[in-house]
Amino acid sequence: MTNGDGDALLTAQNVTKVFGGLVAVEDVNFEIPERAIVSIIGPNGAGKTTFFNMLTGLYKPSFGRIRFNGKNITGRRPDRIMKDGVARTFQNIRLFGTMTALENVMVGQNSRMRSGIFGSIFHAPWVNREERAVEAKAHEELDYVGIPPDEHDFMSVNLSYGDQRRLEIARALASGPKLLLLDEPTAGMNPQESAELTDFMRKLRDERGLTILLIEHDMQVVMGVSEHITVLDHGQKIAEGTPDEVRKNPRVVEAYLGKQGEKEPEEGAQRPREEGDA
Amino acid sequence: MSGAAATLRRTGGRTDTRTLVTLAVALPITLWIADQIEMSIFMAFVLWVLIAVRTIFHSNDKVQRATVVALLLWAIVLPFFEEEGGGFIEDATLALAYTVFALGLNIIVGFAGLLDLGYVAFFALGSLTAGWFMSSFFANAGGNGVAILVSGPAAELPGIHMNFLLVLVIAAMICTIAGMIIGIPTLRLRGDYIAIVTLAFGEIIGRIVINGDEVKLGKVPLLGGPLEDVVGKGATLTNGRQGITPVDKIKLPFLDPFLSLKLRPWYFVALALVFVALFVNYRLRDSRLGRAWIALREDEVAAASMGVPLVRTKLMAYGTGAAFGGMAGAFLGSYLNTVNADQFQFSFSIFVLSMVILGGLGSIEGVMLGAIVLSFINNNLIPDVFNDYPSKVGLDFDLTELSFGIFGFLLVIMMVLRPEGLIPERRRKLELTEGVGVGDTELGTGEAMYEAKA
Amino acid sequence: MEASTDAARLPVKANTWDTVRRYIGEYGLIALLLVMPVVYGIQDLSDTGNLTRLGENIVAGVSNGAIWALVALGYTLVYGIIELINFAHGEVFMIGSLTSAGFFGTIGLTTSTGTMGLILGLALTLVVAMLASGSLNVMIERVGYRPLRSAPKLAPLITAIGFSFILQNVGILWIAGSPRGIPDLINAQKELFSIGGVSITNGDVLAIGATIPLVFLLTTFVSQSRLGKAMRATAQDPEAARLMGINVDTTISLTFLLGGLMAGAAGLIYALYQTTIWYLQGFQAGLIAFTAAVMGGIGNLQGAVLGGFIIGIIQQISDNRIGGEWTNAVVFAYLVLIMVFRPQGLLGEETREAG
Repeated sequence: MTNGDGDALLTAQNVTKVFGGLVAVEDVNFEIPERAIVSIIGPNGAGKTTFFNMLTGLYKPSFGRIRFNGKNITGRRPDRIMKDGVARTFQNIRLFGTMTALENVMVGQNSRMRSGIFGSIFHAPWVNREERAVEAKAHEELDYVGIPPDEHDFMSVNLSYGDQRRLEIARALASGPKLLLLDEPTAGMNPQESAELTDFMRKLRDERGLTILLIEHDMQVVMGVSEHITVLDHGQKIAEGTPDEVRKNPRVVEAYLGKQGEKEPEEGAQRPREEGDA
Repeated sequence: MSGAAATLRRTGGRTDTRTLVTLAVALPITLWIADQIEMSIFMAFVLWVLIAVRTIFHSNDKVQRATVVALLLWAIVLPFFEEEGGGFIEDATLALAYTVFALGLNIIVGFAGLLDLGYVAFFALGSLTAGWFMSSFFANAGGNGVAILVSGPAAELPGIHMNFLLVLVIAAMICTIAGMIIGIPTLRLRGDYIAIVTLAFGEIIGRIVINGDEVKLGKVPLLGGPLEDVVGKGATLTNGRQGITPVDKIKLPFLDPFLSLKLRPWYFVALALVFVALFVNYRLRDSRLGRAWIALREDEVAAASMGVPLVRTKLMAYGTGAAFGGMAGAFLGSYLNTVNADQFQFSFSIFVLSMVILGGLGSIEGVMLGAIVLSFINNNLIPDVFNDYPSKVGLDFDLTELSFGIFGFLLVIMMVLRPEGLIPERRRKLELTEGVGVGDTELGTGEAMYEAKA
Repeated sequence: MEASTDAARLPVKANTWDTVRRYIGEYGLIALLLVMPVVYGIQDLSDTGNLTRLGENIVAGVSNGAIWALVALGYTLVYGIIELINFAHGEVFMIGSLTSAGFFGTIGLTTSTGTMGLILGLALTLVVAMLASGSLNVMIERVGYRPLRSAPKLAPLITAIGFSFILQNVGILWIAGSPRGIPDLINAQKELFSIGGVSITNGDVLAIGATIPLVFLLTTFVSQSRLGKAMRATAQDPEAARLMGINVDTTISLTFLLGGLMAGAAGLIYALYQTTIWYLQGFQAGLIAFTAAVMGGIGNLQGAVLGGFIIGIIQQISDNRIGGEWTNAVVFAYLVLIMVFRPQGLLGEETREAG
C-alpha cells in the first residue's frame, strides 16, 4: 500500500487497546506512506482518538507494535515520540491559556531547544541566540498558518475560534515534524473555512514534505483531500481504500447509517458537534 | 481587530478614574500603616509615589523599568532612614526572608502548578544546615573545633563553624536534592494527591527534626564511621526539642559586624537573597524552562505531546524552589539564633502558600507583595497593633488567640472573592482584552486537567 | 520492516521500571504491611514464647483503627463523589469529640452514673455528636466548596484549609490549647475478658461494637436505598445523573452529611476511648484517616474500613516497639509508599494512564 515515494512512514501492526473490560481498539493494522494525506473515519466511539493517542504515546497499546520512520515507538513517552517527529492537534482545543499565541508556538519548539537552566539564568550568549531564533521561527509559523501579526501577542484564549485552531497547528508545526496528526481539525468550521484548511493541508505536504493523518467527520473534507481512508467501527478496521472504494463499501455505509441501504452520505452532512466561535 | 481597540479605549478610561481614587485613598492608609509599624513616614511616602507612578503609567515600558530600578534603590536606602536596632528593621528583615521563601514556592506552585503543601521541609533543612555548620552543635568535631573560612571568636569555639556563604551553598544543594526526592513520588499523581504527599513529607521531616536527638550519626550503616570522623563522636542528627542554639552570626568582609542590636547588615543580606531570587525568577520565567513549567501547569497532557519532558521539568521545579527555601532557612537559622522544631510546623507551609496565592500565583511581583503584606500582618499588626482593638470595642479577648482563625477566614475569603490574587500574573496583557473570556484561566492551575477528566 | 506478526501479538514490552512498579504494586505493598507484624511476631516468639504482646498490639490497633475507619469513610465518600479531598474533615471529627465532651457535662454524665443512665446518656450524646459533625460538614460544603465547583482544584483545597484553621481556632477557644482529660465514663482500660492471654478492654468493645453497626448501616444505605443509588450514580457520572433527574446538589450535600455523621460518631468513640481531647487531634487524625482511605482504595467503602484497621495496627506496633514519637513518620512514610507503588490502594482499580 505504499505509493511511489517508498517505504511507509508509519506502520501499526495488530494494535490493540483494552481498558478494564472494554476493548477500545482491536487488532488494527495500518500504514501511512510518506508525504501522503490519509484519513481515519468512523462513527462516534469507533476508537479513532484512542488509536491516535497510541500513536502519540498518550496511551500504551495493550498489544501490537508501532514503527515510525524506522524506529519502534510502541509505548514510548509522548515527548520522546514528539522528538522523533510526530506532532498533533487535539479534538477539543488544548492551548496553553495563559500564554500568548507566540509563547504557545515557542513551547512547541521545546524539544528542539538546548538551553539549560544555568544558561537561561545567566543569559549565556548561545541561549540568547537560541531564544531569538525560536521567537523568530514562532512568528514565521504564526504567519504561515495565517494569524495576523498584531494577534501574535494576544493571550491564546482571546483569539477567535478559527485562529485558535490555526494556532494549534502552528504549535504542532513549530518542531518541524515529519508526521502531523490532526484530530477533527474542521470541527466547528463552515464549508469555506474547511476548504481553506484542506488547501492548507496540501500546501503543508507540498511545501514542507509533511505526511498528514486526519481524523475527520466532515465527509466532504475527507473525500476531497485523502489519498487513502481507513474506516474504524467498534475498535476494528472494517474497510480501507481510496475515497471511491470506501464510499461504495456496504460495510461502511452500514456502520454509519445502519442497515438501511446504499444511501451515500450527503454532502455537508450534519456534523455531530456544534462549536461556535469562542 | 477594531473590537479589541475599542475595548482598550473603554478599559483605559474606566481604569484611570477608579485607579486614581484608589491611589488617593491608599495614601493616608499607607502613612497610617507606616506609623503603626514604626516605618519612616517619609520613606512610606516615597514608596507610595513610586507605586502610584507605576500604576498610572502602566503601559509605558520606560516608566515601568525606571520605577523598578527606583524601587530597588529605595529598598537599599530604606534602612538608613530607620532606627538601627528598631522594630521596623527587625520586621522588614523577616519579611525579606519570607519573600525569598515565597519566591521559591512560586516556582513550584505558581509556575509549574504543583501543589506543594510541605514547603516547611526546606525551611527545616536549610536551618538545620546552619545549625550543623555554624554552631557548637558538633562539639566533638576535629579536636578543638573546625573552622572553615571564619575568623574571630567563632573560630575558637568547638564545633564546626563555616563561612555563611559556604553554608548557603550547602543548604541550597541539600534542599535541591531533597526537593527532587520529595517530588519523585508525586510525578504521576493528580493535584490533590500531590498536596497530601508533600504534606506528608513535611510532617516526616518535622518528626525527624524533633526526634533527631535519638539518631546517633555513628550508627548510620556504612557511612557511620566516616561521618563520626567528620562530626565528632556521639553526634546526633539534631538536638531534638531543645533545638540548636546559639547559631553563629553571619560574618562577611566589608560589612559592619552582624550583631543582635545592629540589624542593618542582616537586612542587606536578606535583601541580597531577595535580589538573587528575583533575578533567577525573572530569568527563568521567560526562558525555555519557564515556558515548559507554565505549559505543564496549564495542560500536562498537551505539554507532553508538544515535547515537554514531564519528569525532568517537574523535578527541576521542585529542586529550584527548594533551593531558595534552603537558603532562606539557613539565613533565618543564623538571624533567629536558633534552630528548633517549633518553627517547623505545617502552618508555615500554609503561611507561605497563602503569600503566593494572595499575591497571585505565578506573578513574581504579586508574590513579593503578598509575602511582605502577610509577614507584617502576622508579625506586627496582629500581635502589636490590632491586639488592643477588641478591648476598645468592649470585647474581652486577645486577638493573637484568634490569629489562626483569622488567617483561615482570610484564606476562605480570598478564594471566594479574588482567587487570582492581588497582582495577577499577566495582568497587563489581559487588561488589553478584558472581558473576553478571561476569568478563571488567570488562576490556571489544573483547570485544563479538570476539563480533560470530565 | 520485519513481518513478525506473531511477535507483534505479544503484549507490549513495558520498560523495566514499569514492570518493577507493577510487581511492587501487586505484592510489595502487602509485603510491606506484613513486614512489621511478622518481624515483631518472630521477635516475640523468641523472647517470650508466645504472641501475646503482638496480640495486644493488634487488638488495640483494631480498636483505634475502628475510629480511623469511620473518619476514613467520610474522606472516601466525599472524594468518590466530587474528587475532592475534604481537608477540613479531620476538624469535623475533632468538633465531634469536643461536642461529645461538652454534652457529657451538660447532661451530667459522670463516672458514677448508673449503667442505665450511662447508656441512655451516651446514646443521646452519639446522636448529638453525629448531628453536630454532620451539619458542620454540610455547611462547609455549601459555603466553601459549592461556589467553587467550577474553579481550578487549588481553590477548594485552600478554602478547606481555611476552614480547618477556623475550626482549630474554635477548638482553642472552646477547650484551650493543651490536651484536656475528660472523665473516663466507660472505664475504658478495664479488661472485660481475654482471649488467649490478650485482654480485651471496655474501650475495645465500645470501639468495635459501635463501629460495626454504623459501617453496616452506611454500606446498606449506600447500596440499597434510592438516595444511595443516586450517590453512586453521581459519583460515576454527574452529567448523566443530572439528566436522569437526580438532584446532584442535594446528593452531594447528603454525601457530606453521611461523612460528617460518621466523623461525629468517631469523635465520641475517640473521646471515650482516649479520655483526652485536643484541638489538634483533628489534624493528626485527618492525615492518618486519609492514609487509611488511600490505602484501602479511595472511593471504596470497604477499602476505607480495611485501611483504617491496617493503619491502626501499624500505629500500635510502632507506638509499642519503635516509640510513639516516630509513629506519625512511619504512617506517613507508608502513605508515600502507597502513592508511589499503588496509588489505587489495596481494593481500588487500576486507573487509566495519562490522557
